[in-house]
Amino acid sequence: MLSADKIIAALEKRGVTHLVGVPDNGSRALYEKLWSHDEIEVILTSREGEAYSLASGLFLGGAHPLVLIQNTGFFEAGDAFRGTAYNMGIPLVMLVGYRGYKTMEPDAPRVDSAATFFEPTLKAWNIPYTAMHGDGDIGQIDDAFAKAEETSLPTAVLIIPETV
Amino acid sequence: MLDKYTCLEKLAKKRTDEVVVTTMSVAMPWARHSDGPLDFAHVESAMGHAADFALGLAIAQPDRRVLCINGDGSTLMSLGVLVTLAQRPAANLTLVITENGTYEVTGSQPVPGADFINYEQLCRGAGLQRVYAIDNDEDFDAKLDQHFSAEGPVVFIWKIAKAQEPVPKPSKPIRERAHRLRETLTSSA
Repeated sequence: MLSADKIIAALEKRGVTHLVGVPDNGSRALYEKLWSHDEIEVILTSREGEAYSLASGLFLGGAHPLVLIQNTGFFEAGDAFRGTAYNMGIPLVMLVGYRGYKTMEPDAPRVDSAATFFEPTLKAWNIPYTAMHGDGDIGQIDDAFAKAEETSLPTAVLIIPETV
Repeated sequence: MLDKYTCLEKLAKKRTDEVVVTTMSVAMPWARHSDGPLDFAHVESAMGHAADFALGLAIAQPDRRVLCINGDGSTLMSLGVLVTLAQRPAANLTLVITENGTYEVTGSQPVPGADFINYEQLCRGAGLQRVYAIDNDEDFDAKLDQHFSAEGPVVFIWKIAKAQEPVPKPSKPIRERAHRLRETLTSSA
């Protein structure tokens, strides 16, 4: 499990103003706790591709957005990611839920292709990433912001267990 | 039927300090009127994602009007954006949909549903309340000022004549144009 409160504290530390995306089961607690947050506005999009373009507009307008989606939506968002956040050079941090992670364990009855395609796709698209397995990894969010700012490019942090 | 080039000329004459986001077959005709830091050709980007990009700008810059001049083919590529615009309304956002039923820059092939689609109904069905379809010069002139002043999100559907435009080639790379826009918007905040 990942503490939503600790993740929110990491976002507050970095001055995040908007969280943009589409909820999934893994990010449910994070979204629910942020609905009523005073300083971070949640903006839901109809599809994940919109999250990248909307967040890019927010950044160019002077805000500090973060994208929160699931890996299935990440696949859908490919061209929007490439054409907006990547091409525009937006130092955007994205938290991406890792659906199917446990199905890659050796004794799993079936493998979720959302998991098997995920990291190869991140690598193919030159997206730096780390993965949060527990609360001890939440510091990766801060590191991702530093990396994004250093490169002026998007950086990902993967959410493996559900947030609570 | 409206003439796209005349409409853009009229809009450019009225424009002051608004951000203008353009796409595809509008980008270069608009650039002939204005190609400064507040003009953003959503080209070399992701087709279908100009309106959501403009929404982000509008939310971040609530005191500045943002106009997005989109195409019908681009609108069709991400119809859910219309719902997103209604879900998170920005009072300073104007969306123009230029409708002529074709993909102009790829050879004027018809867009899906060109013979029957109704963008006004799509917008209203998505929850957008201020939607105006314009198909003649008199109505365009009467609505021109509202492009800059109407409470957003407001949508103007320009019923334009078919035309042909080459593939747009902006004067600077998209990354440079994007960061120039940010510098302009944040330095004047």
